Amino acid sequence: MFESRSEKVFVSGITVILILLSAIAVIPLLSVIATSLSSKSAVDMNLVTLWPKQFTFDSWGYIIDRPDLWRAFFLTLGSTVIGTALALLMTALLAYPLSKTKSEFAWGGVIMVAVVIAMIFKAPIVPYFLTVRGIGLYNNPLVLIIPHILNPFNLIIMRTFFKQFSKELEEAALLEGCGYFRMLFQLVLPLSKAVLATLALFYGVLLWNQFQHPLFFLQNPDWFPLQIKIRQFITDDSVIMAGSASTADLNYNTRTLRAATVIFAIVPIILVYPFLQKYFVKGAMIGSVKG
Amino acid sequence: MKAIAFHRMKVYWPLYVMAIPGIIFLIVFKYIPLAGAVIAFKDYSVFKGFMDSPWVGFKHFETLLNHPDFARVFGNTLMLGFLKLVLVFPVPVLLALMINEIRKSALKKGIQTALYIPHFLSWVIVAGIVFDFFSLSGLFNIVLGWFDHEPVLAMQDSDYFRPVYVISSIWRDAGWGTVVYMAAISAIDPQLYESAMIDGASKFRQMRHITFPLLLPTVLVLFLLEIGNFLDLGFDQVFNLITPMTYNVGDILDTYVFRTGIQQAQYSFATAVGLFQSVIGFVLVYIFNRVSKKVSDGGLW
Repeated sequence: MFESRSEKVFVSGITVILILLSAIAVIPLLSVIATSLSSKSAVDMNLVTLWPKQFTFDSWGYIIDRPDLWRAFFLTLGSTVIGTALALLMTALLAYPLSKTKSEFAWGGVIMVAVVIAMIFKAPIVPYFLTVRGIGLYNNPLVLIIPHILNPFNLIIMRTFFKQFSKELEEAALLEGCGYFRMLFQLVLPLSKAVLATLALFYGVLLWNQFQHPLFFLQNPDWFPLQIKIRQFITDDSVIMAGSASTADLNYNTRTLRAATVIFAIVPIILVYPFLQKYFVKGAMIGSVKG
Repeated sequence: MKAIAFHRMKVYWPLYVMAIPGIIFLIVFKYIPLAGAVIAFKDYSVFKGFMDSPWVGFKHFETLLNHPDFARVFGNTLMLGFLKLVLVFPVPVLLALMINEIRKSALKKGIQTALYIPHFLSWVIVAGIVFDFFSLSGLFNIVLGWFDHEPVLAMQDSDYFRPVYVISSIWRDAGWGTVVYMAAISAIDPQLYESAMIDGASKFRQMRHITFPLLLPTVLVLFLLEIGNFLDLGFDQVFNLITPMTYNVGDILDTYVFRTGIQQAQYSFATAVGLFQSVIGFVLVYIFNRVSKKVSDGGLW
């Protein structure tokens, strides 16, 4: 296709702007990485920009040696894995009947309206807090999982997906004497890997990054998940320096340690990022077509 | 009739059993708290619960409207909501229009990857990055130093809180916000572009007269949703970016509810604040929905 000069200027201008913006998106991350790998003196002398100066792993080593951080890490990993599995189960169990016709599942219409209302009208936070506390989740690590195992938005995505299944296959299975439970677990779910992957990531990121629930409900530091722990590390110098041997001759300071803490929290996200990008975009698109 | 119903249940009962855990979840975690909002009109007592606490009418709302803190917090919330709507909301639209013009797919993918990454970081981490960026020996002050500018402690200065809020919002979520728009753009009929090219329309004119107008309905729907969340600024973001020195401009309804309701246990009062917030959000959506229906055919309902 013929392209005039002004066309080329237009497209290359946009390209340059976008590359600059992408750089801006990444620069703060690079700056934190550089700080975490630089020595105390280099940081104090304002030498560190985007590249480590007086390269050292001391800050990383210090952070990796903190058992309380690892405790929070594994607590969060465990609650994310278990929570995601439970959430997929809960969501599928409700989405499947909701994908059926009125003659099969008469409550479908009412429940759908209830789900949409729950999505539009968010309860004020205080009665929510009192309710969740009332069922025994205050100061209980299960609060990291149970309030998150069914999300109305994800429920609607899964229901939409189930609705596309061919009726014939299921009718044949029904005639063979296959019940709905077996049908869901042996026929429908194995064919729903794409939507399960997408929703697993939706739930997983939510559970991994959750901050508000532990902040509101957990008092015992033993049950602090990663985000709360990281906030303590970032905001409270006495917490982050708690494991340091002596104040003299250190090759790190609170700033390089904070940077290393941030990196510690980012690494797991970067590791699963290829999956995140692929399935999240798909999921967001399904969601947007619906909404 | 009964026989048919009985026969139906014989086959369909598992569907009803499956639905029960989800129904219980919705009742406990969505509907009981929603009904519990009545304590805004009561003096909630932990021992009496939502139902039996005594009614007090609009007492808490009167306290609220006469409270000097509330005026400040509400003003801060309106200001940040307005800035978010005007400065943050349009960014993904512009980004999507620009990304759409890039034809080289490897480059396009690289740009999208870089722009999406921050969205997956929690606000705790983003705040960690922001505080590092604006620290005394951080990148921001190093660059200021190159221009012989005095160091600025932006996170401890209330003049900088609003810009930091806006910029951190854009940095974390604007890239990700393009996904919906890219989906809408990919649904545009390619024939429109082909005939425009035959007519000699430039890329810019195609963007202006085809892509942008066809993207507008999506923009409008998202704008209405955004209006509904006008006062919903994101607790995690503000809570993690605020410092004691920026409270006067950064304290918003969400953080105020946390302080009064959860930390100080003024349950009924904080519920009144929350209810006030929800009602204003609903009224705003209702008004703008009416307006958008008048102006164009679009609207949420």
